[in-house]
Amino acid sequence: MTYSRSMDCYEFYDRAKKGEKMSQDDWDLMTIPMKSMELKQKYGIDFKNQFVPTDKDMMSNLFKAGFEMLLECGIYCTDTKRVVKYTEDEIWNSINNVQKEFVLGTGRDAVTVKKRNVGDKRKPIVQGGPTGSPISENMFMPIHMSYALEKEVDTIVNGVMMTVRGKPPIPKSPYEILAAKTETRLIKQAAAMAGRPGMGI
Amino acid sequence: MISSDSHEVSQLNELKIDLDAISVIAHYNGNSSIIMDEQMPIFGGYAGGVEETAIVDIATHINAFVMSNATWHLDGPVHIRWGSTNTRETLMIAGWTCATISEFTDMLSGNQYYPCAGPCTEMCLLEASAQSMTDTASGREILSGVAAAKGVVQDKTTGMEARMMGEVAKATAGMEIGEVNKILDSLVKLYENDYAKAPQGKTFQECYDVKTITPTDEYVSVYDDARKKLEELGLVF
Repeated sequence: MTYSRSMDCYEFYDRAKKGEKMSQDDWDLMTIPMKSMELKQKYGIDFKNQFVPTDKDMMSNLFKAGFEMLLECGIYCTDTKRVVKYTEDEIWNSINNVQKEFVLGTGRDAVTVKKRNVGDKRKPIVQGGPTGSPISENMFMPIHMSYALEKEVDTIVNGVMMTVRGKPPIPKSPYEILAAKTETRLIKQAAAMAGRPGMGI
Repeated sequence: MISSDSHEVSQLNELKIDLDAISVIAHYNGNSSIIMDEQMPIFGGYAGGVEETAIVDIATHINAFVMSNATWHLDGPVHIRWGSTNTRETLMIAGWTCATISEFTDMLSGNQYYPCAGPCTEMCLLEASAQSMTDTASGREILSGVAAAKGVVQDKTTGMEARMMGEVAKATAGMEIGEVNKILDSLVKLYENDYAKAPQGKTFQECYDVKTITPTDEYVSVYDDARKKLEELGLVF
């Protein structure tokens, strides 16, 4: 069925208020395991211990199974305990209208992220950083600088500052906001000190 | 942050979301920010086995672009027992999912790195290398890491692990897939029996001169040894 308008976060919110009711346990322990097992069997999916696939028919089956998983299950909203469903056309509309490239960072430090293919000859973008690892307040800048100084690294991914002004950044406290803002400022400063002030983060 | 930085919003395991995240997406859209939708499917979790988790991972990728209007999706299949993205099972989930997404869509995808071992150890560098090979060969656009020591120990992460991730990616780009799989099988065998006793490695302060941000001679030597091991397996730097 043709969609009335493209899916967005506002439509998602409206559906999360009136979708089918379900307990989170039913979702986690019944819907997800049962449907993923059913689709594996339906499409005969078997990776045959390969890390990177060479069997395009099997990849096609995996794509169909993943698509069907989203179409038939939808997404569970943990706040409203309801299920948000999409139509097939809404899903295809989103798949068919993705950005094929974008730029991270500014100036000569900017890098363009472009679609790659299996076996592509171009190196992927390297986003170096602690990736959410806990980092002490006094080591925060030097550690991020160690990534910005590496020429193999194109952009930075942050670590998590364990204290700010000596206090833990407890969720929903002003220290949480201060820590988030400080992390960003220190990473930008670390990149600048490495001579790459325009690095994306 | 400026709009040309990645702005993160995370889905929940598996195929779940909360309304705070939906409001965050509205904020990012309002600022025309680059949106990075993140989610790490759990092998051995609600979905179960390797293939089942990959099915959920494909659905999660697609949902990033339907629900979150993502610019790119940050993946990271993780092992429920070892908390690592570098195991044989999680590498297979990542490799198959990314190759399938690359083959049938234009969606852009990254992957996160959580090796068991800590910095300044050969195992950590080999674990990161295995994932870099898998990601690069399967068409991944962004490699994001490395959160050494499973990303849970304070200050146990350094730029050297990211250097290895980048160097291996460069060496792997354009390789024939059969050859990549062959090397990966041998490479994973070098560390897959050691998860329970993975070396914890050193903190940043212990393996770098903090004033000059220079790795110690010891770490450079460990790095060289890991690189030699990869060359012996057939990787050409």
